[in-house]
Amino acid sequence: MPSVFVYGTVFGGLAVQAGLRPLEVWGMSVLVFAGASQFVAVPLLAAGAPAAAIVLTTYVINMRHYLMAATLAPSFRAFPRGWLALVAHVINDESFAVAVARRHPPDPWVFIGSAAAVSGAFLAGVAVGTPLGGLVADPARWGLDFAFPAVFLALVALQLRRPADWVVALMAAALAVAIARVLPGTWHIVIAGFVVSALAALVLQPETA
Amino acid sequence: MRSEVWLVIAGMAIVTYFTRAPLLFVLARRPLPPRLRLWLRLIPLAVLPAIALPMVLVERDAAGARLALSLAHPPLWGAVVVFALAALRVNLLLTVALGVAVVALLRALA
Repeated sequence: MPSVFVYGTVFGGLAVQAGLRPLEVWGMSVLVFAGASQFVAVPLLAAGAPAAAIVLTTYVINMRHYLMAATLAPSFRAFPRGWLALVAHVINDESFAVAVARRHPPDPWVFIGSAAAVSGAFLAGVAVGTPLGGLVADPARWGLDFAFPAVFLALVALQLRRPADWVVALMAAALAVAIARVLPGTWHIVIAGFVVSALAALVLQPETA
Repeated sequence: MRSEVWLVIAGMAIVTYFTRAPLLFVLARRPLPPRLRLWLRLIPLAVLPAIALPMVLVERDAAGARLALSLAHPPLWGAVVVFALAALRVNLLLTVALGVAVVALLRALA
């Protein structure tokens, strides 16, 4: 949980630094509650990128939730629909990892307990981070602009398990760099992320990959 | 102007909920087809490098976009450090902090 708290603090600080108001940072954290996409959206919002581009990028980044929801679904079979609506909103990488590591199928209460702790820690972090936001005059001098790509790079490294994973990641990286040189905004994320993953899913064998 | 920020936040919230809720509701009984499951597993593997590498390797400004592959480019070394530490399963927070420190140090020396 401490790392989620710090993650929230860094997000709150960087978002205010980028020009968002504390209430907007809060609103995004409660309503979207998906850290990686929020980290990507903030510099885009600050740069005045088109709303549709930011929303589409958010969708592609958060498509990973489909797999988590599908894996968790059988565990929540007996839950009333109102509960499911709430549980759906707090699906997050950390709690999913905790619930899946313990038992198969995952224990719904382990997931709910972890999700409550993660959302609490993240929002508490945001609350601590937003007032700190305006304090650093030149974030680049302290390398803080590098915090965004660093988080994403580390998450990539943690997911590379099979040889095919390396091929997918390297192809997506190369295509994204090539597109980023010619197209503005975040089209490189949307196109490279979508095309490379879809092509790989068509080519690779589901049981081996 | 600020209502535009809230419009974006609302849009983000709606599409994100749409990635979480439907399968939790629908898939309680049926398993996901294997190839679709494979695709969903591969999405973050393609999306995360597609976000990160251009941030490190492509410099954008008013004059346009170009590759920043020089060894004197601090984020390049930060990226190497972060990737290596994460691959060695060093704590995520410490990994990011050390990457940021490397970039700050190299910029201070430049």
